[in-house]
Amino acid sequence: MATTLLILHGLAAVALIGAITHQALATCTPPNAKPNSFFGRFRAIPAAGFANAIVLLYLTSWLLGAVVYLYFKVDIQPILERDRHWHAMGFFDLKEDFIVIGLGVLPAYWFCWRGPANGQHHRMRTILTVLLAFTVWWSFLVGHVMNDIRGFGS
Amino acid sequence: MSASAVRHFTFAFGAAFALFYVIARLRGLALFTVYPAQGIVLLGLHRSRDFADPVLDFLAPEMYWYGWTASAAVGALVVGLIAALLPDRFSSFLAWCVCIFPPMAMVACVYLTIPWFRL
Repeated sequence: MATTLLILHGLAAVALIGAITHQALATCTPPNAKPNSFFGRFRAIPAAGFANAIVLLYLTSWLLGAVVYLYFKVDIQPILERDRHWHAMGFFDLKEDFIVIGLGVLPAYWFCWRGPANGQHHRMRTILTVLLAFTVWWSFLVGHVMNDIRGFGS
Repeated sequence: MSASAVRHFTFAFGAAFALFYVIARLRGLALFTVYPAQGIVLLGLHRSRDFADPVLDFLAPEMYWYGWTASAAVGALVVGLIAALLPDRFSSFLAWCVCIFPPMAMVACVYLTIPWFRL
């Protein structure tokens, strides 16, 4: 059961990281980027179209992660503590903090992407999207390392 | 609910959630404590070592993260609902808050996590 949930959590996270990265790059790419360049192509995608999917994937990934966390606490954390993986525990603590802070930001993020972008909205879109992108990337990488930790660096 | 009220609610919720989460984490204000090994949920913050010998702590690991999240959500919901009633001139201030508070909360969480890196 835990393995199935973890795989689903990972799959949701992969979809989420793809969507948020596309949106963040599309939002941050300067308007004068060459249309056929790597970043120019990101700029051309309709970034607003990702917003609902990102909210849904974030919630799904968070919910699955919250369930898997119960198994982690009982079965995995004691082993990590026994093996003195303190840094990994610290990074994982940050993952859970960042994810929850991102969760709180989600309604504001969704609202910003709803309407047409004026000056203030565009700035907010950029800030909140980059914040969520950082959170997702951090969580993805830390989760991946935690998943593989008994082989990683040992 | 008007678009302005929704905007105020979402912006205030995001800012207050980040602030309350850090306060909950700092002060141990968990709405409930989960004991996953036993499948028990207790209201408020409880520590295994308050009931059993600290060396047996690992038998009943407690989880506060869900409780901290719930505490922050309840606090942010109240602030969000109050903010929804505010006039439009507060929009810019709330927008500023939702852009500033979450990154600051993340930095505060980094600070709170430092003990792990000193072990």
